[in-house]
Amino acid sequence: MSSSAHSDVAPIVVSDVVKRFDKVTALDHVSLSVLRGETFGLIGPNGSGKTTLIRMLLGLGRPTSGNISVLGRKMPSRQVASRIGYMTQSSALYNELSIRENLAFFGTLYGLRGRRLKERIAATLSLVELAARADSPIQTLSGGMRQRVSLGCALIHEPELIFLDEPTVGIDPELRLAFWEYFAQLNQRGVTLVVSTHHLDEAARCNRLGLLRFGRLLAADSPDALRARSGQQDFEQAFLYFAQQAETAEAGEPTPAAEKEA
Amino acid sequence: MSLFRVMAIAGRIIRQFVRDRRTMALLFLAPLLVMTILQIVLTSSNGSVTLALVPPPGPIGANLTQVIKAPDSIKLKVITADQAEPGLKNGDYDGVLTFPDYFLARLQQGQSPTLRLRLEGSNPGAAKQLTSLVKVLVATIAVPQSGGQSASVTPTVTTSYLYGGPEYTTTDALAPLFVGLFSFFFVFLLTSVAFLRERSQGTIERLLVAPVTRTELVLGYVFGFTVFALAQSAVILLYVIFALRVHYAGNPFVIFLVTAALTIGGVNLGIFISAFARNELQIVQFIPLVIVPQVLLGGLFFPVKTLPVVLFQLANIMPITYANVALQGVMLKGFGVGDILGDLIFLVGFALLMVLLAAFSLRQEKV
Repeated sequence: MSSSAHSDVAPIVVSDVVKRFDKVTALDHVSLSVLRGETFGLIGPNGSGKTTLIRMLLGLGRPTSGNISVLGRKMPSRQVASRIGYMTQSSALYNELSIRENLAFFGTLYGLRGRRLKERIAATLSLVELAARADSPIQTLSGGMRQRVSLGCALIHEPELIFLDEPTVGIDPELRLAFWEYFAQLNQRGVTLVVSTHHLDEAARCNRLGLLRFGRLLAADSPDALRARSGQQDFEQAFLYFAQQAETAEAGEPTPAAEKEA
Repeated sequence: MSLFRVMAIAGRIIRQFVRDRRTMALLFLAPLLVMTILQIVLTSSNGSVTLALVPPPGPIGANLTQVIKAPDSIKLKVITADQAEPGLKNGDYDGVLTFPDYFLARLQQGQSPTLRLRLEGSNPGAAKQLTSLVKVLVATIAVPQSGGQSASVTPTVTTSYLYGGPEYTTTDALAPLFVGLFSFFFVFLLTSVAFLRERSQGTIERLLVAPVTRTELVLGYVFGFTVFALAQSAVILLYVIFALRVHYAGNPFVIFLVTAALTIGGVNLGIFISAFARNELQIVQFIPLVIVPQVLLGGLFFPVKTLPVVLFQLANIMPITYANVALQGVMLKGFGVGDILGDLIFLVGFALLMVLLAAFSLRQEKV
C-alpha cells in the first residue's frame, strides 16, 4: 500500500469519464476532484448517474473512457480497498445475524482481528448508538436501526475515504440529523466522505456539491458559491437554473459543453 | 490469500444456516423421510438381468441355452469357468451358474449333482430373480432314471455371493445413491439461494468492495457448505445403518471423500447458476434442468449401462453417475480409494470446472 498518496494529492480525481451501458450513456465526460477531509455531495434525480459514478470510484466497473484515481491509484484497483468504506443504497446486511456478528464479519474481511476487532466493534456500536441492541438479529430491527448498522459496517475498519449511496433514504428526520452529525465528526478526523442524495435540503450540509443530470456534471462547487452563481437561495431553484443553462448550451452548440470544474 | 477471511465467510454461512431452522430441518429431516418412504414402498427393481452359465463338458453343454427356458427379462450367456469371477466383478453378469464336470454322470447314476450359483449381490432385485429362476430351472432338469423307474433326481444348488448376501434388500442397494444425491441436491439449492440473497440484499457489493479476493469468497462458500453436506451425509448414513438397518460394508472416510468432492461441485454450480436467476422461484426452475436428469439417468432408477446411446453419453458426463458408482462400490462392496479412483478423479475434475465457472460468474459481477 502506497503512503506517498497521502495529504498532497486529492483523494479522488475524475478526469473526463464516460460510461456507456450498451446504448445508454450513464456518465458523459465527467471531471471532478474531491478534497481530503471534506464531504462531497453528489446531487441529482434518480437515474442521473450518481450510483454509476460511485460504483466506478469503488472499482466496481471500468469507465468506457477517461481516468479515475482514488487515493493515488488508478481505478479499478484492489490496492486501496482496505482504506475505503462503502455504505450501499439498501441496508445490505445478513438478516439472520446479530448486529455484532455483522460488524465482526465485515471487520474480519478488512483485516481486523482479536482485541482490535472487539475494540472497533464497541466503538462503532457506541457511535451509531446501538450498543444496547448489539446481539439482536438484524431482522428484528427497525428500518432506521438497520440503516445505522449499515453505516457501522462501512466504518468498522476506520477507512479514510467513505462512499455513502443515498444513506438517508427512508429514514426519519431525527435520524437524518444524527447521520449528518456522524459525518461532521468523521470530517473532523480527516475522513473524506462522498455522499449521494436526492434530498436537496441535505445539500447545504456538504462542503462541496456536484450536480448531476442525465449523466452530465452541471456544476461542482460549494453550496454558497452555487447559490451565488445561480442567484437563487433555494437549492431546488439553483439546480433548475443549472439544468436550464446546460440545455440552452446544448441547443446553441452542436458539441455539448457541460461545465467542468474542480 | 487470507485464511482468516475465508474462515470468516465460511463461519458466517454456517451461522446463518444454523439460525434458519426451517432450512436445517429440510436439510436433515427430508432425506430421512424420503429414505423411510422408499424402504416401505420399494419391492424390487426389475431391470435386465444376465445369468452366465458354465456348462458341463459334452453334448449338454453345447445346447444348454436352448434347453433352459428363461423369462425375457433374464439374458443367458455361456462362459468358461475361468471367466466367471472376473466377469462378475466387472458387472458383465449378475450371476454365474456352474455345472460340475460330473453333472451328467451323477444324474445317470441316480444321484443328485450339485450346481453352484454365484451371485454378484449388489443388486438385490437381480439376485432375487436369479435365485428363483435357478430354482425353477433345477426342477425342470429332473431326469428319469436309467433303470426305467418313475422316480427322478433333482440337482441341488449351493448359492454364494460376491458382495453382500441373501439378506441384502433394494434399500441396501439404493442407500448409497441417496447419500450422494441428497448432498448434491441440497448443497446446490442452498448455495444458489444463499448467493442469490447476497445479490438481492446487496451484500455482494460490500464483499466485492472489501479486500476479499474471488478465491477467498469461493473457498469460504465451499468450506461453509461442505460442513453442512458432510454433516448431512453423516446423519443419513447413521439413520440408514442404525434405524433402517441397511447393510453396509465401506469405510466412512472414503464416503466422506466422495461426498466432499461432489459437494464442492454442487456449491460452485450453485454460485454459477445463481447468476442466471433473479429470485428464488427462478432457482427452483433450474431444478428440472440440473437435478432431475441426474436423478433419472444417474443409475438410481435404470442401470446406466442399459440406457440408449444418447442418454448413456449424457449420463457419462453427470457427476451423480460417478458418485453413485463410487458410493455403491464403497458401501456395498467395501471398496477403498484405489478401487474408485477413476470416479473420484472425475468428481474432482467436475468440481474444479465448477470452481472456474463460479469464479468467472463472479468476475462478471464487477463490470
